[in-house]
Order: sequence, then structure tokens, then C-alpha cells
Amino acid sequence: MTSDLVFQVLASGITNGFVYALVGLGLSVIYRGSNVLNAAQGDFAIVGAMVTVVMLDRAKLPYAVSCVGGIAAGALLGALMERLVVRPMLRRKATDDSMLLATVGLGFLIAAVILVTVGKAPFFLPQFGGEKSVDLGNVTVQRHALILIATAVVVVGALALFYKSTHLGQAMKAASIDPEGATTIGIDVAAMRTATFVLGGVIGSVAGILQTPLIGVSFAMGIAVTLKGVAAAILGGLVNPMGAVAGGLILGIAESAAVLTLSSAYQNIAAMALLIVIMIVMPNGIFAGATRRGG
Amino acid sequence: MVRHRIASIAGVAAWALLPTVLPVHYVDLLVFSAILAIGGLGVGFLLGQAGIINLAQAGFYGIGAYASAYCIVTLHWSAWIGLAVGLAVSAVVAAAIGWPILRLNGHFLALATLALLVIFNALFLEWDWLTGGSLGISGVPKISAFGYALDSPRKFYYFVWPLTVAIFWLVANVTRGRTGLAMRAMRDSPDAARVMAVDSTVLRAKLFVLSALLGSISGTLFAHYVGYISVESFTVERTIFFLLAPVIGGLRNPWAAIPGAIFVALVPEVLSPLGDVYRVLFGLALMLIIMLFPAGLLGRWARSDGAH
Amino acid sequence: MTGSALVLDGVGHAFGGFQVLSGVRFDVPKGGLVGLIGPNGSGKTTLFNIVSGFIPPKWGRVLWCGADLAGRSVEARSRMGLVRTFQTPKVFEHLTVLENVMVGLYRKTRTGIVQAMLRTSASRAEVLSMARQACAVCEQFGLGSFVEKVAGSLTAGQRRNLELARVQVGAPELLMLDEPSSGLSQDEVESLKASLRRLNEAGLTILLVTHDMDLMAVAQCVHVLSAGEIIASGTMQDMQRNPQVQQVYLGVD
Repeated sequence: MTSDLVFQVLASGITNGFVYALVGLGLSVIYRGSNVLNAAQGDFAIVGAMVTVVMLDRAKLPYAVSCVGGIAAGALLGALMERLVVRPMLRRKATDDSMLLATVGLGFLIAAVILVTVGKAPFFLPQFGGEKSVDLGNVTVQRHALILIATAVVVVGALALFYKSTHLGQAMKAASIDPEGATTIGIDVAAMRTATFVLGGVIGSVAGILQTPLIGVSFAMGIAVTLKGVAAAILGGLVNPMGAVAGGLILGIAESAAVLTLSSAYQNIAAMALLIVIMIVMPNGIFAGATRRGG
Repeated sequence: MVRHRIASIAGVAAWALLPTVLPVHYVDLLVFSAILAIGGLGVGFLLGQAGIINLAQAGFYGIGAYASAYCIVTLHWSAWIGLAVGLAVSAVVAAAIGWPILRLNGHFLALATLALLVIFNALFLEWDWLTGGSLGISGVPKISAFGYALDSPRKFYYFVWPLTVAIFWLVANVTRGRTGLAMRAMRDSPDAARVMAVDSTVLRAKLFVLSALLGSISGTLFAHYVGYISVESFTVERTIFFLLAPVIGGLRNPWAAIPGAIFVALVPEVLSPLGDVYRVLFGLALMLIIMLFPAGLLGRWARSDGAH
Repeated sequence: MTGSALVLDGVGHAFGGFQVLSGVRFDVPKGGLVGLIGPNGSGKTTLFNIVSGFIPPKWGRVLWCGADLAGRSVEARSRMGLVRTFQTPKVFEHLTVLENVMVGLYRKTRTGIVQAMLRTSASRAEVLSMARQACAVCEQFGLGSFVEKVAGSLTAGQRRNLELARVQVGAPELLMLDEPSSGLSQDEVESLKASLRRLNEAGLTILLVTHDMDLMAVAQCVHVLSAGEIIASGTMQDMQRNPQVQQVYLGVD
């Protein structure tokens, strides 16, 4: 195993890591904003990518417009999910388990709709920056990967800024921390929750669009994407959206290690095993200090 | 009481006559319902009685199927040994993984079982020396019962339904007994149950193993019935079937997984002209039922009717 | 066996730098009815959780019949006969009243999953016996007329009785009650006092934690907890005349 190979795989792992970070970020945003663990988050990514694909390939719209369309689809899906599924269930005091099962059902439904409308075969999107690569030392990195990482960083930064400096962001934060208090100062908690899901949908679809040129998109991918996002989010501390970035990178690098030591088939297995292990051993994330039981 | 007797006898007679009047195609579906019901029971009793969501059931189903297929086709061992190996592997995996993950609460546990399913799927594909990978294993021979080779849907029907009913009876006995009380107590108030010496860690692990064993039996029967198994049968879609059967039938009564399984087996067939649309229906059905009973899928405690 | 059943020996605990309990030392004699009283925030609940096994003490020991309980789980302590109730009664919402009480006999019974599956005569007999005993106890606690009612539909007072019936049916060695009068009406408190006296006279050792001075009248010996320390011990009358105790309760009563 040459060091070139190691760095190559590592670069790939880091790139993936940023995608997982974004999925985890979306999950974390939704969890922090509504206490819902969204098992359909990966399907937001798939929908965003698929809509982009359809707009690009079937409607022959420009790539940029298609991407915007995909992101809009994600936003819409988030809003619909909150209004039609989450809100009625919260009103009836749904348990965590029921809510999770409902999101699992939703994920399955979305995957089914995609299957019925576009079929089983995977689709790809053109890479950003053309099919060009860049040589960094002995490692060849696609331009798309660099753009992906840059975009992810921008999204994370924008989100941080959004929560800290914008009126809407602060209102959303207040609504999730203390819904009753927020209501007394005039914040519409339900609308803030919708906004949270829209934001989750947007981040999710961005992740989906970014990863599709590299690994494609198909109807059944939602679950694996969701679970990896969960791993990233939990590693970073579920209630700390920014932590999902660290979590995603750790996951991506762990996957690379598995690919290098075992084989590429073990990439997913390693990710899932890692998810199970961290849920047991550090449910509060790596930044929480001592390993506490719970979850 | 006499009326009940007559109804039961009429019911059994109707069951026995069905294969003679229905086209083979439907008998086949009813066989599949019986097989599905067993795995569905595994998910259903665990969820309804103990409040634990097992989304990995399709994986245990696969373990049972592959164990049987491999032991017979590759190792040339008997069907009984294949069954036993499947059960043993499922039990060991369920116990080993169950022990740590069952301490997790609600939604994390569900996700952990889902992750487990993804691992199973990946291993089923990767360990092709065992499972045949994407090609699967073919040539699983039919089993024989009392000297009759079960080589047609009709024959299998007469074999599998009494077996399914027997298995349901065994599990229903558990839910009616002391352990059933403990499970439901643990589900309703873990703290109060602990104070009554209900060791939830041990009990949950035992119940998870039982759930996995049911999935495994289901898988073994499936392998012997269809003769050819491949990884497509052991995915999330199948786990949703196992979840949907008891959810649709009703979680209060473990027996309800049977009508639920019949529904789940029949719908794809009825909707077959429309291709994969049944999946959309299933997703919707799952969501709607959960949304209608969000306070724990058991409904609120009813004032007049009995418990569970 | 005479003498002390439960001994607290220098028990102390702290969370996040805040000292919740320090040097708590008292014992509960066998067959006694001992009370622990103190205002909210005095550490009663923490002490209770330590004795019942929900949290381990940072300092000191809890002894039961001379043996240190350190490391014993809640379930293990329950099997030894130490049972407790909760401040808000915890009942099994979806089970009937009868089934709720039957769970109280879990620790006294043995048949397992396999026996239940095969409906062995042992398992069937055991369940019948549990039901019979539970029924009898339900009568004692005034629940007899609605044993088939689902527990989730009961009133607060009925839930409290149900919880008591459940913990008592298995003839525990030590019954620990956490704020048993909260949420009860005056009549219900009187009824509770009568039940406790009856149980204690029949030989049950009881440790009662409450901030309700009226309920505490049933106790033979009372320890007063304030800011994590025992500041006084004696009979209820002594405590009511004790100036330190009065000071602690000024404004809280």
C-alpha cells in the first residue's frame, strides 16, 4: 500500500466527510429545532438531487437553475413534512418512537415515489468545474471535490451567521430552546418549526446535489445517507449543529481507514458499525467530555 | 360457547377448502402470508408488548434463509440442521448486538437496528462465498413433512399454516404469562418495573433474541418454499413488510399480525398492474396508522375495554 | 431478626460541585416506622434514590441487615425485599388494576419464557396464584370494585393506592415511601395514615419521606433533614417543639 494510495483514499474520505457533515447538519438543525430525529433526512438529499436531475435531463434547463430547483424541492418537502406530519403528531403528544417510525415511513414513501416516477437506475449530475482534476502533491483531486468542500464550509458558516446575527435565526433558536417563553414575546413557534424543517430540507438537498456527481443518486440510497448523517450528528453532539462537521469528517476518515485495511465493500459497514458504537459509547458526542450513559 | 365452537370449526373448514377453490397464484400468496406473519409476529410482539422497535428483522430473515440454503446446497447437511444453524446464528447475533444497543432509548434503538440491517445487507452482498452475492443461492430443495415432499404451493399451505398458528400460540402464551406482564410493565413504566425486580436489561435482550428467532424461522421457511434466494429479498422493503403486518393488524393483540400479513402479501399482487405503486401505498399506510395513534401505537388507554 | 434493618452510615452526595447530602447517619429498626422530613431542596429525594439504588452515593454506605448494598442494582435490592414508591405514583398505564398489582409479585415468582410458552402447569398455577393474591390485596386497598379497569383511567388517589397495593403485595422487607401524600385530599391522607399503621402493625418496616407534618404523625421516630444534613431526631412531638426545626420550617409550612 503506497502512501499515494493512502492519501488518495483519505482525500476521498474527507470529501465524503463534508457531505456527511452537511446531512448531519440538517439533521441536527431539525433535532435542535423540534426534537424530531428525522429518519427521512437522507431522502431530502435524494429528492434534491433527483429534481435537479429531472430538470436538467428532461426539462433541459440550465444546470444552475436545476440546482436551484432541487434546493427548492428540498425546502418544499421540509415544509410539507412539518405541516402534514410533524405538526399533527406533536399536537397529539406523539412519543419519540412514533415520530421516528413516522419519519421512517415517510422516507420509505419518498423512495417509493421516486422509484415509481423515475425507476431504479442511478442517475448522475455533471461535476462542478467540469470533469477537471487538480494535482495536490501526489494526490489527484477532482475540482468538484474542492468545490464541494468549499460549498460545505460556506453553508456551515452561513448557518452559524444566520443563527447568530439574523432576526429569523435568533427567533428560531429562541423558539426551540423555550417555546413558551418565545410565544410570550410574540414568536410564532409553529412557523419557526416550519422554518427549521425548510432549513433542514435546504441543507439536505444541497448535500444530495453535491454528492451526486461523485456517487450518483438512486431511489434506495436514502437510508444509508440518513444513517451516516446521524452518525456525523451524534459524533458532533446532536444539539450542536456545528459539531456535525467534525463528526462528518471523522466518519469520512473512518470509512477511508476501512477501505484501506479491508476493502471498499466495507465502507458502509464501517460507517454503520461506527454509528452503533458511538450511540452506545458516546451518545453526547465527542465534545461532551466523559462518556455518559444515555441517549 | 357452542356458537364459538361452530364458528371455529367453520373457520378451519374454510381454511382447509381454500386451496381447492382458489387459483394456485393466490394459494401461493397465502403461503407467503403465513411465512411473513411469523417474522411480523417477531416485530409485532416486541413493539406492542415491550415497546421496542426492531427494524433489523429482514436481516434475521436473511440469516435464516442463507443458513438453510448454505447448509443444504453447499454443505449437504439436512434441513433440520440448516434450520438450527440459522436459529443459532440469529440468536447469537441478536444477543451480542442486542445487549449493548437495547439500553438505548426509543428512537436511537430503532436507528441502531436499522444500521444493523444495512450491515447485514452489505455482508450478504460481500460474503458471496456464503451467500452467492448478487447471484444468490439456488437449488434449495423442498422439505418433506411426514413423507410428503412439499413441492407445490398447496402442499406447503397445509404445512405452513398449522405451523404458523402453533408459533403464534407459543408466543401468545408468553404474552399472557408472567413474562408478558413484566414486558408490558417495563414498557409502561421502566422505573416502577425496576423496583419490582423486573431486570429490563436481561428481559429486553431475551425478547430481542426471540424476535430474531422468529425472523430466522421465517427465513428458513422462505428458502425452502421458493428454492432460490438472493439479497433483494432481505432489504428495507422486507423489514417494512414485517413492521407493517402487525401495525396494520393492530399491536394490542399479537394474533393480529396474521390478517396484517395477509394484507401485506396481497396488496402488491392486487396492485401489480401498476408495478411498484404498492410501495407508495405501504409507506402511506405506515405513516397514516402511526399518525392516527401517535401516543404509542396502542391508542390511549380505553376506559371500558380491557388492557392491552 | 431484631435490631436495625436499614443503616445509613455517613452517606453523602454531590452533583456538579453542589453538596446535596453530607454525613447522613441514621437507622431504621426492624418493624419500625421511621420518617424523614425536610423542606423541599433538603436532599430527601436524593437520599431516597441512593437507598433504593437509583444512584450510588459519593460517600458513605447503606447497609441492609448488616450487609453493604454498594454495587447492588435497583432490581437486586428489590429482590432482597427493599421496595419503594415514587413522588408521582408510577402505575402501568395500559395494564388493568389487577395486572398492576400482579407485577408486584414478579420478584417472588420464578417461571420463565419457555415455561410460559409451553403452558406448563407450573407457569399456569403461578399466574393463577399471582392473580388470587393480587385480588385479595386490591380489596384491602379499596380497589376491589374496579380491578378490571385500566390503570391510566384512575384518579390520583386511586393511583396512589394502586402503587401501595403493588409494592405491598409481595410482602417486602422494607417499604420506602416517597412523598406519598402529594396530590391527596385530606380524607385520602387520613386513609393513607390508617393503611400505613395497619401495615406496620402487621410487621412491615417502613421508611417514610415527606414534607407533610400531618402524615408524619404515624412515624415512631423522625429525622429532620435540612440542606443535606440531619439536624434533629426524635418523636414528632419533640420535633415540633425543637427550635431549630421550627426555624427550618418557617415560611415553608
